[in-house]
Amino acid sequence: MNFDLDEEQELLRASASRLFEDHAQAGQDDAAAQWRDYCDMGLIALPFPAAVGGLDGGHEAVMLVMDAYGAALARQPYLQPVLLAGRVLAQSEGELAASALAGLLDGSRRAALCLYEPRGRYRWELPQTSALRTGEGWTLRGEKRAVLDADGADLLLCPASVRGGVALFAVPVDAPGVTLSTRRTPDGRSASDVVFADVALGTEAMIADHRSAGAAIAAAVDGATAACCAEMVGAMDRLLAITVDYINTREQFGQPIGAFQALQHRAADMLVAIEQARSMVYYAVAMLDAEPAQRKVAVAAAKALVNRSARFVGTEAIQLHGGMGLASEYPAGRYFQRLTTLETMFGDTDHLLGIVETAGGLPD
Amino acid sequence: MELQFTDEERGFRAEVRDYLRTNIPDAIRAAVREERPLPREWMVEAQQILNRAGYAVPHWPVAWGGRDWSAVKRAILTEEIDRNAVPRPLAFNVALVGPVIAAFGSEEQKRRFLPAIANLDLWFCQGFSEPGAGSDLAALKTSAVREGDVYRVNGQKIWTTYAHKADWIFCLVRTDSSGRKQQGISFLLIDLATPGIEIRLIHTIDGYRHVNEVFFDNVAVPVDNLIGEEGRGWDYAKYLLGQERTSMGNVGFSRRRLEQVRVVASGTTGPCGRAIDSAAFRRRLTQAEIELKALEITQMRVVAADAKASHAPDPKTSILKIRGSELLQTAAELMLDALGPEALTGGFGMPDETDPHQGIDARSAPLSAYFSSRKFSIFGGSNEIQRNILAKAVLGLGARK
Repeated sequence: MNFDLDEEQELLRASASRLFEDHAQAGQDDAAAQWRDYCDMGLIALPFPAAVGGLDGGHEAVMLVMDAYGAALARQPYLQPVLLAGRVLAQSEGELAASALAGLLDGSRRAALCLYEPRGRYRWELPQTSALRTGEGWTLRGEKRAVLDADGADLLLCPASVRGGVALFAVPVDAPGVTLSTRRTPDGRSASDVVFADVALGTEAMIADHRSAGAAIAAAVDGATAACCAEMVGAMDRLLAITVDYINTREQFGQPIGAFQALQHRAADMLVAIEQARSMVYYAVAMLDAEPAQRKVAVAAAKALVNRSARFVGTEAIQLHGGMGLASEYPAGRYFQRLTTLETMFGDTDHLLGIVETAGGLPD
Repeated sequence: MELQFTDEERGFRAEVRDYLRTNIPDAIRAAVREERPLPREWMVEAQQILNRAGYAVPHWPVAWGGRDWSAVKRAILTEEIDRNAVPRPLAFNVALVGPVIAAFGSEEQKRRFLPAIANLDLWFCQGFSEPGAGSDLAALKTSAVREGDVYRVNGQKIWTTYAHKADWIFCLVRTDSSGRKQQGISFLLIDLATPGIEIRLIHTIDGYRHVNEVFFDNVAVPVDNLIGEEGRGWDYAKYLLGQERTSMGNVGFSRRRLEQVRVVASGTTGPCGRAIDSAAFRRRLTQAEIELKALEITQMRVVAADAKASHAPDPKTSILKIRGSELLQTAAELMLDALGPEALTGGFGMPDETDPHQGIDARSAPLSAYFSSRKFSIFGGSNEIQRNILAKAVLGLGARK
């Protein structure tokens, strides 16, 4: 075991971090320009195999980028277009998927994977959304919920029930019958509810059939979940630093409130929670190439712990800030908002613990 | 970055496991698994078996039996010792007094003590805490006054684990009370057979007797038994506490306990089903197992970082102490809950330290383990002290401007 970054990793971490911090400093978001920066730096190509024009960065590289992303509260979509939709596209077949992936890599296009459904909670594997075979192709019918960063995507990737299982369909966002209703999330992303009202699709729209779609989506979800955990740890790190800075500066009763042991111990417990979460990120990343059933359990265990740490660190940080914690122009609250948003992604703590329990515990 | 164990590390783990399972007698491992107190002979026998393979003192200087293994490998060794229910090499010997003698003792002291300490031919106990000096250790009062070529030692130590089994005690004593309380402390080795020493057992809530009070009444200790320089004992104690950190998280021990909990909870099914069938119980067990997985990696991270750093102890070790102790306590709680009413007859304490069946009683002692586990968040720097360390040394809190 060795937890040191090699020279290349150090460089990647430093340059990604500088980019995200610069963007955060810039104040006014120029989304298109910032997305172009991600592309120019190779962040978009990072996780993909060289065969499709990627950089073969590997799981650890993605982890480092996401850690820096979380620390700076970076704003441009990455989890969705690159790690979810992008990875699914890379596992899919046909011209439609290939051109969408090429568009992602050159920075001109984005897709969004639609995972969840009304009252379906986190179980994307059993969609009520269905695709019926017609003479010319397919008719897609159903609803998806809380699709991350569908706003700005030109293609929706929609898992739907077909005879024999779940297949994956690529649906242009402007296809007749597709309706998006988009809300801003507390941390400045967007989430959309999507209705597919008998959307007519050609045969080419099925980019992964019932034999391959489930495995491709599962792999992308697990990878994105691990990345999400890394983002949360990056955000928690920074939130603790902001909090420590605040309580070392804020004076009451004639001294910095950080001199009070009651507050010191709360901050120490935040540190413990963060370091345990970081260890679980390492664990999840190390297990991403394991056999899929083990990978799923390991990643679920990781996010269960990271979620709990995030809730604890986030709420404690607000408490230690007192009233300032509730002011949205002050950074602590924004980190808490980000952490809370991420907590709801890919499974809340109970759902994730259920996955580990069903498997009879962690893989040895 | 290498987030998984290397092939070499996996190979080492298998080799250690194989040696332990082959060479440590089953009766000893059963007693450890069931958390019964071991007779002294068994602890000596186990440590000597470990010492033969270089497993007792791998962190020592090579000249005195150390192995120059990576910190990760040493952590794997400790984990396997614990997980396979092998008695750990006596911490007072190998982790505490040994490294201090190796670093600050004279050549004569090293020759005299180190091989015997490594092989548990000589059993040391630790005389640090006093009735008025717990977390505030530097407040200690036991005095040593020089008279020719002896020190006259007077005072009292407390919570001295295994003093009743030990041959020697290493003590912090006050040789000067004129300066700051951290000054004037010296590090002294004392033969427990010396006249004027009285050892009284303390009954503890786990039903056992393994800690003691040690009284010193005008005890004559040869000045040759002073380690290093007079008055530098506080520095040596700090050095000692910064030593071998590979076991701070008690990862292997918690693993063994949680595995046992899972076995018991998944065992016989009765009219009410098994404990593991309760969603609430399962959830608590699963959360503990996940926390332990995280701790296992945190332990490796601290250990790997420690290997590169200087001798200064990594303050993040406090994380291991806090979470490690909490997990051992959680595991003991889960065991009681898994047993239900049968916990009450599952085993508690021993009637008598001199009981010939001690360590041979076939019953486990989950109630004793539960009560005893409260000590983990108290000794070796209470968890509150650990939080102080994290707040001040890692987070930089409370520094007055």
